[in-house]
Amino acid sequence: MDSEHFFAVVADDTGPDPERDPAPARLKSQIYSRLLAEQAATGRLLSVSETRQSGRPLCVFEALVAHVPLPESVKSMNPCYVCHARHLAEHLDHAPIFWPNCPYSEFHRP
Amino acid sequence: MPDASPTTVAQSTHDPVVAGPAVDPEERELVAAVIRKDRKATAELVGRFADAIHAYVRQRLAPRAEMVDDLVQEVFLAALKGLPSFAGRSSLKVWLLGIARHKVEDHYRAHLRRAETLSDFDDDSAFVPVEQPRFDELIDDERVRDKTRRVLARLPEAYGYALLWRYWERRSVREIAAQTGRTEKAGERLLARARTQFKRLWEVD
Repeated sequence: MDSEHFFAVVADDTGPDPERDPAPARLKSQIYSRLLAEQAATGRLLSVSETRQSGRPLCVFEALVAHVPLPESVKSMNPCYVCHARHLAEHLDHAPIFWPNCPYSEFHRP
Repeated sequence: MPDASPTTVAQSTHDPVVAGPAVDPEERELVAAVIRKDRKATAELVGRFADAIHAYVRQRLAPRAEMVDDLVQEVFLAALKGLPSFAGRSSLKVWLLGIARHKVEDHYRAHLRRAETLSDFDDDSAFVPVEQPRFDELIDDERVRDKTRRVLARLPEAYGYALLWRYWERRSVREIAAQTGRTEKAGERLLARARTQFKRLWEVD
């Protein structure tokens, strides 16, 4: 087998494999936080009330914010910034967070 | 943002995914929701595609695993900026992998340009032919995968990237040389040394 063939075979045998190399939950959490920060930096996020109206479920904290009589601009803020779940999710590979409808919990679900 | 058009992605037969049919309505809705800054849609984007992007970048940056997280994050940031121009001519996954591919090639280019100053690439005394690895060594995929990763990690960075660019991304020597400001002959020499070193490490692994 010549060099070109050898390397072609090795390359074919070692392509990307998401099952073998999935993104760590910690990384997914960091990316999500970063994307939300980027989105918030260029205008307000969709408020939690609007998010719920669009059919996407809220976590318990977001639902609480949605229920409180506050201006939409306040409901557009990201409560995850002050949530322990985000902090744990960004720093641990198997964070002990189990809130329903929390993206960080979803990233860490086995 | 790099041009990550599906056309560019589909040019290689060695792409992690083959360009599929036009994007489905569910993906269109997801894109629209992310553009509306629906936080749950943004989470879905990450949750749905991070594994594929990570696996691709991890495999293509085998010699430098510590760079993978940053590059995957860059892919998503670039995607966020580029989403309004996502035309839906390919699936979202193919489009994202196109961005990842550009990021990986930017990384190769930057590192191989820096490596240009290494004098050992021009030192012919370093070139010693070695025996070809046996074909039966390549039968066990898992073993080959692990061994390849180990060998790439032990290679000088420039050698590893040159091999990945040439054989995994299937770029021609001419393309690699042009992108790194080398002559084609210098590119051939770099690859020859990279192959020799790879095979030597493969034998002793």
